Amino acid sequence: MRENNWFREHGLILLTGVVVGIAALVLTTSGNPRNMGFCIACFERDIAGALGLHSADKVQYIRPEIIGIVLGALLAAVGAKEFRAKAGSSPACRFILGMFVMIGALVFLGCPLRMVIRLGGGDLTAVAGLVGFVAGILVGIVFLRKGFSLGRAYPVRQGEGLMLPGLMVVLLVLLLVFPGKLRFSEAGPGSMHAFWAISLAAGLIVGALAQRSRLCMAGGIRDAVMLRDFRLLSGFLAIWVTVTIGNLILGNYNLCAVSQPIAHSQYLWSALGMALAGWGSVLLGGCPLRQLILAGEGNGDSAVTVLGMIIGAAVSHNFGLAGAADSVVDGVYKVGGIGTAGMAAVIFGFVVLLVITVTHLPGKEHAS
Amino acid sequence: MRTKQMRLVVTFYTTAGAIAAEQLCRKAGLEGRLISVPRCLTSDCGIAWSAPPDTRAVLEQRFREAGIEAAGFHELLV
Repeated sequence: MRENNWFREHGLILLTGVVVGIAALVLTTSGNPRNMGFCIACFERDIAGALGLHSADKVQYIRPEIIGIVLGALLAAVGAKEFRAKAGSSPACRFILGMFVMIGALVFLGCPLRMVIRLGGGDLTAVAGLVGFVAGILVGIVFLRKGFSLGRAYPVRQGEGLMLPGLMVVLLVLLLVFPGKLRFSEAGPGSMHAFWAISLAAGLIVGALAQRSRLCMAGGIRDAVMLRDFRLLSGFLAIWVTVTIGNLILGNYNLCAVSQPIAHSQYLWSALGMALAGWGSVLLGGCPLRQLILAGEGNGDSAVTVLGMIIGAAVSHNFGLAGAADSVVDGVYKVGGIGTAGMAAVIFGFVVLLVITVTHLPGKEHAS
Repeated sequence: MRTKQMRLVVTFYTTAGAIAAEQLCRKAGLEGRLISVPRCLTSDCGIAWSAPPDTRAVLEQRFREAGIEAAGFHELLV
């Protein structure tokens, strides 16, 4: 009986973690860049590039994984009668927070999900990101305990909740029917991708399972720290274990802190970038993956957050804020990372998050 | 592994609501603790207040007086 309870509580989240890990391995084997089977930040950045919102020609592609995740979450939510159109929780602040979560993630070169996938490939540079991400979440929790709130969302018309899923359908039609209207990378990470149907199917499955299990990296660490509840976090541990085992079997495991695929060894800024992403994710109530799932469930505020992240990606590349991967040039190992503009953006991001946090504490101006 | 018990699970629209509820109950000496929202329920914030089922009337009144907006009161095994 007790064992049944344990499986009922943890079975779905562990299954989701294992499936996400397997999907990441399949996508990498099918053409996605190494250690990038899934990356919400990178894929939204590629979508921004494909739409011409930035001109970094190595990161432009409409990633069907993102489309699949949102539509998978929509289908699962409708099937479980959990689709609820709602909005009105500080959308402008969420847009800005989404931008800075993306800027922080692109400094590190990955969202929390890719951070775990990088760790599963033996990429020790991602440890700096993990340390920063946890630190950022702890800062966010301090302010949650002080009463930080972006306010509640209210029921709205169904159409509002269908806006982001609708946009995803438009992106899919553009990719399949009007590819000439889009920009596609001919080299670099954007040119490396699985066949669109495989990517879409993987996204649909992951989106549906993540909706049912509430998979969320930021929420997992928040629950572990605040509630001593490790259920959500166990999903990410399952991803890490699955990807590690898969990479060992496939011969892709490389336990090392240098020369990792699409990663840099500027550890301090990796940590600070993910601290920005972690703090922002706690204020938003979920990591970038969770924002896609919530948008699929009809949450208009999360849809605005996703749009903020896409614009944040465009800003990152147009203003040279994103990290550059370590590389070998003429036989010489060249450390990548971010430049002065990227460092300034991360520091400015912390200031913006602090201002948003302080202005949404109890005792400040009340919304009416 | 603990066994499941019948509990009153109060959900909130915001995390701030759940934390305010915890602080109010601590001050008032009311039994309970914060938990992650059970899978069979949904909420905007993901955190709920778990209390003995017989405290429902007291909690409804205290939350109303304190201006804490609860999304729902549910009795279930957790």
